[in-house]
Amino acid sequence: MNNLVERFTAAAEAVGCHVHRGEAPAIEGAGVSTAIYGLADTGSVVLAAGPDEPRGRSLLPDVHVTLLREDLILPGLDELFAALGDELPSALAIVTGPSRSADIEQKLAVGVHGPREVHVVLLAPADEAVSA
Amino acid sequence: MPELAQPAGRFREIARGKLADAHTQQALDDSTDRLRTHRLSAWAGLDDVEALRERAHAIRMEVIDDLEGHVARFTEALEARGGRVFRASTAEEASAYVAEVCSRAGAKIAAKSKSMATEEIGLNEALSAVGVQPVETDLGEYILQLAGEHPVHIVAPAIEKTAEQVAELLSAVEGTSIPPELEALTNAARRQLRETFLRADVGITGANFGVSSTGSVCLCTNEGNGRMVSSIPRVHVAVMGMERLVPTTADLAVLLKLLARSGTGQKLTVYTTLLTGPRRPGEEDGPEELHVVILDNGRSNLLRGRYREMLACIRCGACLNVCPVYRKSGGAAYGPVYSGPMGAVLLPLLVGLDEAPSLPHASSLCGACTDACPVKIPLHELLLDLRRDLVEEGVASRWERLGFTLWSWAWSSRLGYRASTLLARLGQPLGGLLGPGRVWSAGRTRPRFGRRYRDRRG
Repeated sequence: MNNLVERFTAAAEAVGCHVHRGEAPAIEGAGVSTAIYGLADTGSVVLAAGPDEPRGRSLLPDVHVTLLREDLILPGLDELFAALGDELPSALAIVTGPSRSADIEQKLAVGVHGPREVHVVLLAPADEAVSA
Repeated sequence: MPELAQPAGRFREIARGKLADAHTQQALDDSTDRLRTHRLSAWAGLDDVEALRERAHAIRMEVIDDLEGHVARFTEALEARGGRVFRASTAEEASAYVAEVCSRAGAKIAAKSKSMATEEIGLNEALSAVGVQPVETDLGEYILQLAGEHPVHIVAPAIEKTAEQVAELLSAVEGTSIPPELEALTNAARRQLRETFLRADVGITGANFGVSSTGSVCLCTNEGNGRMVSSIPRVHVAVMGMERLVPTTADLAVLLKLLARSGTGQKLTVYTTLLTGPRRPGEEDGPEELHVVILDNGRSNLLRGRYREMLACIRCGACLNVCPVYRKSGGAAYGPVYSGPMGAVLLPLLVGLDEAPSLPHASSLCGACTDACPVKIPLHELLLDLRRDLVEEGVASRWERLGFTLWSWAWSSRLGYRASTLLARLGQPLGGLLGPGRVWSAGRTRPRFGRRYRDRRG
């Protein structure tokens, strides 16, 4: 369990995410989403579109802050699709780091269309119970 | 349909031009080296890459073995979720359907994310013809659209463009001068295209995969434009090659583990999006209509024959980066859409060998493509088979056939073999001066025919 959190944190930071514990950073204009899962192998957060989770919130603002409960971190894609089953949301987004492109001279540019910054806020299961 | 393959003769002509262009050679070397190295280290990070490749091959072949069944299951699942499916047997049918959807939606602008399938059907020309402006939103494709050019690499479409050239193109749109610096250029493109996303009535994407059991379309992008065009416009149309299906989401996981690792060396692309039907009640965004165009365009001809494995291709681009021919000649020589070993196999199969006779020869048959293919398509063997077909179908020149007949006759006896090597040794000084020897040795180092060990003993 803790191992998964550590692996998630390392992988998410490796792809350019900022990982926080317990407290969300106050950033003006940021879009705040709630992840349904995290993936330790890749440092991804998984977002499911729904009435409380519009697609644009994690896509249009320059900064995307996503809240992820630590107990929802899975090892990887195999476990994710096993957990989801065949009832999928209208849009499932597996987000792995900030928007990027290497289309100009093969150099890495960040923030092409999607958010330039992605912050993942790890919440202990108890935090979530209190805030809910 | 646009000409998918360069006409015979053009391959050599374009490749010769690219070989003489130092900037293109540098860009090709840098980008293919970089992508190849990244793939190798990403593959090394997997527990058992060989087992995963075998598994991926088996999944792809399972779909190809029963493609009609998978298309039917996908269609049923997607329609149950409120999506619409249109099966197009030709490029023209596919383009006409998308144009009709745009017209019905009253669209003036269609925002597109990168899609080789829409390049293949010449969709942009078809949309412009009915008064809909297609705007490419992938940064590389946007640059090429402004330049009026075609992609030269299926993953990195604009590798031959310099920052100065990009700055010139984006400045012309902006009306002010943008410096040729990465951040300034990225910001300018972001600004210009953000408006397109918000104004477009229709969003058009390809599909990296479709999932038969759930009716989902899977898009893999890094910039976020795939998510934009499938979320913001009122109508979303996805054009999917009919072979892009996988049975279940568990199978999708296997292919996703290989796709980005093989393409760019990433574990996953930044945005892996799985779309299952249009927006549902209570949701405040997402398209009201979702159309999936399932494109045949010659693919079903490959289903029962020697070349069926080519349908397993997941368009990762790994084979381009290792191919000694692609790495020197660049993508344009093959045609405007597909290039490298996958293009050299696929294009003759889609358009007919007589339309693309030079492509099976655009290979040294070294097998690097086969080793790099994440789904284990025996690409160099298929290229050799296509050469055999060229001869059998009489597309190969009479001189080529005569030459090989003589060679096979001469080398089937010891005497003939010795006579041929003697002739080669004696004729050596003339080889670079005359006929085919002169053509062949232009740009190549001629081999030296010495006395063979075998001859010295005997």
